[in-house]
Order: sequence, then C-alpha cells, then structure tokens
Amino acid sequence: MMLMTMEFPLNREILTTIRLSVGGLCALTGFDLEAAEDCKVCVTEGLLLLMHGGSERARLSFARENGLRVCMEGTGKCAPGESAPEEEISIALLTALVEDLSWERGENGSRIEFLFKGL
Amino acid sequence: MDERELFATYRASGDIALRNRIVEQYLYIAEMIAKKFVGRGVEYDDLLQIASLALIKGVDRFDETKGVKFATFITPTIAGEIKNYFRDRSRLIHLPRRISELKLEIKRTADEFLSANGRSPSPQEIAQILSVTEEEVVTAMESGNVVSLDRPADEDGTSFYDVIPAAGAGEDFERLERREVMRSALGDLNNEERLIVECRFGRGMSQAETARRMKVSQMYISRMERKILGKLRESLKKSVAD
Repeated sequence: MMLMTMEFPLNREILTTIRLSVGGLCALTGFDLEAAEDCKVCVTEGLLLLMHGGSERARLSFARENGLRVCMEGTGKCAPGESAPEEEISIALLTALVEDLSWERGENGSRIEFLFKGL
Repeated sequence: MDERELFATYRASGDIALRNRIVEQYLYIAEMIAKKFVGRGVEYDDLLQIASLALIKGVDRFDETKGVKFATFITPTIAGEIKNYFRDRSRLIHLPRRISELKLEIKRTADEFLSANGRSPSPQEIAQILSVTEEEVVTAMESGNVVSLDRPADEDGTSFYDVIPAAGAGEDFERLERREVMRSALGDLNNEERLIVECRFGRGMSQAETARRMKVSQMYISRMERKILGKLRESLKKSVAD
C-alpha cells in the first residue's frame, strides 16, 4: 500500500525535513523509536548516495509492505564512476540495516530501493 | 603497501604497532558511522568509543583473503556494535521478538482491515487473518505498555513507587490477610466478576479458557479483569485507610 511520495531538490538543507517526515511515517507504520531512527539513517544514506552521484532532484516514495518499502530516484546530471569511500560506507551501512537493497546508477539518474523491516 | 598486503603482514606478524597503524588508518570509518547515530541520547564521544572498539576487534577478525574490502566488512560490524549498545541501554524491559513482530503485524492488519471495511477488526478477526490464536493477539496488543513507577497510581497523586510493597513488607500483607480485607473486597464484586476471579486467579485458567467457559470473547475477559482489579484496588485502599 503506497503511503507517500515526495519530490524535492537534493541539498543538505532539506535532509532534516525529510528525516522528520520519515520519522512521522515510521510512527504511522508502528515502528518503535530505535527502528524509526534506523530508518531515518537509511533514507539519509540513500539520499547522500544520490547526491554523490550528481543527482539534483529526488523522488522518494514509501509503501507499506511487511515493513516500509522505500524507493528513491535521483534525476539531473549524473556522473557514474568510481565510488568514493563514503559511498562504500553508505552502501555497507544500508546493506546491514535493510533488506532487498538494489542500487542502480546510470547516465540519466540513480535509483535505490530497499525494504526496511524495523526489527 | 595496499590494504591486502597490510592485513596479510599483520596477520603473519601479529605486530601490535602495525595493528595500531591499521586502526589509525581506518579510524575515519568509526568517526563517520558514529556521527550517523548521533541524536539518540548518547554523546558522540561515547559512540566514537564504541565504534573504535569495534574497529579494533574488527581488524583482528578481518580475513583479507576473502576478497572483501575492509570498509565493507567493518561498517556493519561497527553499526551492529552501536545498535547493540542502544538496545542494551534503552530496552530495560525486553519484549520477546515474536511478540514484537506480532504486534507490528496486528497494527498493519488492523489498518488494512479498517481501510477495506470501514471498521476496526475484532481480535478474533485479526487472529483468523494472521492464523494465530486470539490469546496471542490479545497478549501482543497488551504487551509493551510500560508504566512508569513515578506515574500516579490514583487520583491523590500517589505513585506506583509508593504503593508497590518493598521487599520485606510481608508483615503488612499478613496484617491485611488477618483483617480479611481480601474477603471483604471480593464481596464487592458481582457474581460474574467473582467467577472471573475464581477462574483466572483461583484456578489459574488463561483468559482464553475463562472466555470459553463463560461463552464470551477473550477481549471481554481482558477488559473485565482490568475493571475488577480497579475495584479491588479501591476496596483495598479503603480498608487500609480504615
């Protein structure tokens, strides 16, 4: 069940607003405080990956599916290339905290999707 | 020396100075991850300490021959240590994992049911959808409602901390028994309420068993139990005051 979709310019100033929205969604989903904080970390890491990839805007959608399925698409000028150490850490962190992680980066944009179960 | 050579040399020599060099080289990962977990009531310095300890342990456990980069290996290790710390620190009362999971499933099912039917489901309906017993549903629904000892136990503002007897307070209870307070309190209950007390506390029957015997729902027994305990508490308070 689709819960919410947001589109916004990708800059660091807006990340706090996104994190707050994610916190609210986690409360609706029934996650406890710790799980909500983890989910916020995952969404932030995903958005940072899009930013590192050169995306200028992001479309973020959430669906309820045995947890929270998060899909983020970055659009704008993208620069596929060798990943920086911060990106490796972001991906490793996401891998540790979520399930079904998929990450694609192409010339026209990047796409990250994962399922956050919150347990 | 590249990463693989560095770890291979350390593995072969066990040289602590070299280990320290490796730790210093990768300390930035501990710093980065610690920062990501800031804002949950634990100081950054404490998080960094936990992350650094995980890094030191990780250096010893890392196997460079497996073809994984150290950053990929150590990130979940550090995140795991930090999460364990939060878990140990915040969950003074642990809910069994199965109950936590069931609670989430119940919430999701209830929301979906409400959207589809325009009304909230009964515990029996949730139990049928999730293929669990009604008792499991009620147990999960009632779990996790932690009450602070400082919360007022009654309208006078007396806290639970004040009314819960300390160890060694057995004499007080003996005195209460002698005065037959309980008998008098039970006398204030109606027949149905007395039957519930007898089944639940006299015969040790579960809520589901009591419900079956009385031909009512388990939720009804659960609600009645709360009502009865409230009544008994009032009677006991009056008796103690007398």
